[in-house]
Amino acid sequence: MKRSVPFEIFRYAAILSAMAVTLVPILWMVSMAFKPIGEWSATGADLTWWPKQPTLANFQFVFGHSTNDLIVALDHTAVKPILSSLLSAVFGTVIAMSAGTAAAYGLSRFGSGQNLPLALIQLRLFPPMAVMIPVMIMWAFLNLNDTWWGLALIYGIVTLPFAFWLMKTFFDDMPREIEEAALVEGCSRLRVFTRITLPMMRAPLASAALFVFILNWSDYLIALLLTTREWVTIPVYMASLSSSMTGQLYGAKAALGLIAAVPPVIMGVAIQRHLVRGLTFGALKQ
Amino acid sequence: MSAVMATISEDKMGAVHAKPAQRDEGMRLGFRLTLPAQILVLFISAFPLLMQLYISVTDWSPLSGVGWWNAWEMWNSFANYTDLAADTRFWSALQRTAIVMLVCVPAEFLLGLALATLFADDFPGKRIFYSILLMPMMVVPAVAGYMFFMLFQSGGPVNDILSRIVGMPVTIAWLSDPNLALIAVMIADIWQWTPLMFLILLAGLVGVPDDQMKAATLLGASAWQRFTTIVLPKMKTIIIIALAIRVIENFKIFDTLYIMTGGGPGVATETISVYIYKVTTQDLIWGYVAAIALAILIVLSIVAVYAMRRMAKAGEVPA
Repeated sequence: MKRSVPFEIFRYAAILSAMAVTLVPILWMVSMAFKPIGEWSATGADLTWWPKQPTLANFQFVFGHSTNDLIVALDHTAVKPILSSLLSAVFGTVIAMSAGTAAAYGLSRFGSGQNLPLALIQLRLFPPMAVMIPVMIMWAFLNLNDTWWGLALIYGIVTLPFAFWLMKTFFDDMPREIEEAALVEGCSRLRVFTRITLPMMRAPLASAALFVFILNWSDYLIALLLTTREWVTIPVYMASLSSSMTGQLYGAKAALGLIAAVPPVIMGVAIQRHLVRGLTFGALKQ
Repeated sequence: MSAVMATISEDKMGAVHAKPAQRDEGMRLGFRLTLPAQILVLFISAFPLLMQLYISVTDWSPLSGVGWWNAWEMWNSFANYTDLAADTRFWSALQRTAIVMLVCVPAEFLLGLALATLFADDFPGKRIFYSILLMPMMVVPAVAGYMFFMLFQSGGPVNDILSRIVGMPVTIAWLSDPNLALIAVMIADIWQWTPLMFLILLAGLVGVPDDQMKAATLLGASAWQRFTTIVLPKMKTIIIIALAIRVIENFKIFDTLYIMTGGGPGVATETISVYIYKVTTQDLIWGYVAAIALAILIVLSIVAVYAMRRMAKAGEVPA
């Protein structure tokens, strides 16, 4: 449909203002991450919008290199929290994707586990806060508190609904002729699944895995409750980056926040096509 | 609904090769494939639910020196539930959660819908604009909370922009004023989740058939008429899904809010999740927490049954 010139002007004006609102908070954090301590906070009107003397000191600081500016000694560096976030999110994704893909195939092809779709949506519905007491007790009993593998297990369960629903819609959409041909050839059903279906679904599997990884990587509340010291994740660790002497370590937090924010944003752009499907439990496809 | 569809297609598949042996093989494999997921679901629902039910009728706390299985020694005959009914801090947290939801979800919906209509047809730069506008929802919520914590400092950029607009120094202490703090956390939520509304609504909007719109235009329908009589009815189920998702997620609001204000000043931004978190980690009265959690779970389950029916219905309508 042809649009009039005033409409086009209005459209670009509206979109550009939305872009500004979108980008200012992100760019502010980027800017903070590269500012030396003297430019962190403003007194009066001399707010520094963009670093006057860009520095990598904030990044060096969170990785344990002492700098002249920051006299605070870190209890421990950001290395282990980053490792913890990474390990728990990756293995949580492995758990969710393995159980979810298998179950989705079982339901999509053989009608097994009819209770799963509803049960898993209900799992997603409840605030994690409302089920954490038993989880904390169970995790303490199983010696899983404050470990990345304990986090991975609960992440795998929490994101199982997404893995299941995404893979179910992918399997439902997939043409069955090839599978049926292989069956006629005398392939067992398990072989069809592992040797034919899964390799064909490589791209959807990758998208679903990235989606689930983003969700796991984004967690804060669960890690806050289940990790205390040894294996805290990045967001939990970030909160400790302040001291009574210097107050908030803005630059260090921004640097770490940037490190945490970059992977999911890149992955999110990579799987843009499947975001709608993932977020709506497959009810909508783009 | 989809489960029913799956059964039908299974019948089709079975009908092609009417060999009972292969059907049995399929049944067995299906059972084995769904088993891990079933175990995980059971592991996280059945046992924890019973445990929660049990603890919720006691005064048990992790500091009480007895294991949770011995919590019956501290049986308090449903006092937790009667306490809950009289707990003003709980009810005001619930009320605050409702206020946040009633402001944020409609704002996100309207902004998302407005943006989606601007993106309904092609124009130069559409793809790059689209990618950038989606960025906030991919930012780790805790990090977003920290971003807005910095933005709303009294010497921060928000006040700086306001100073430039009004032409004199503005030093509003956003996060330490009870009313402004609530507004600040709502702004953060709207910033982060409007893109989600935009994304879903746009997916629905491009599904509206073009020929109907053209026909309506030929018949002299105005843009507004086309929108209300063709677009909105076609998008009804999508709108319901989008709203349902945000209502569910917004009810859980914790990460951004807790990092920005910690529920404060005082209890000014204490939503239900923050309240439960505080009782869990500071007051440590887990018997009471279990009672609160169960009450919430029961109410949400009732809502869920209703919402699921709508979702299932929506699943039949091709997007």
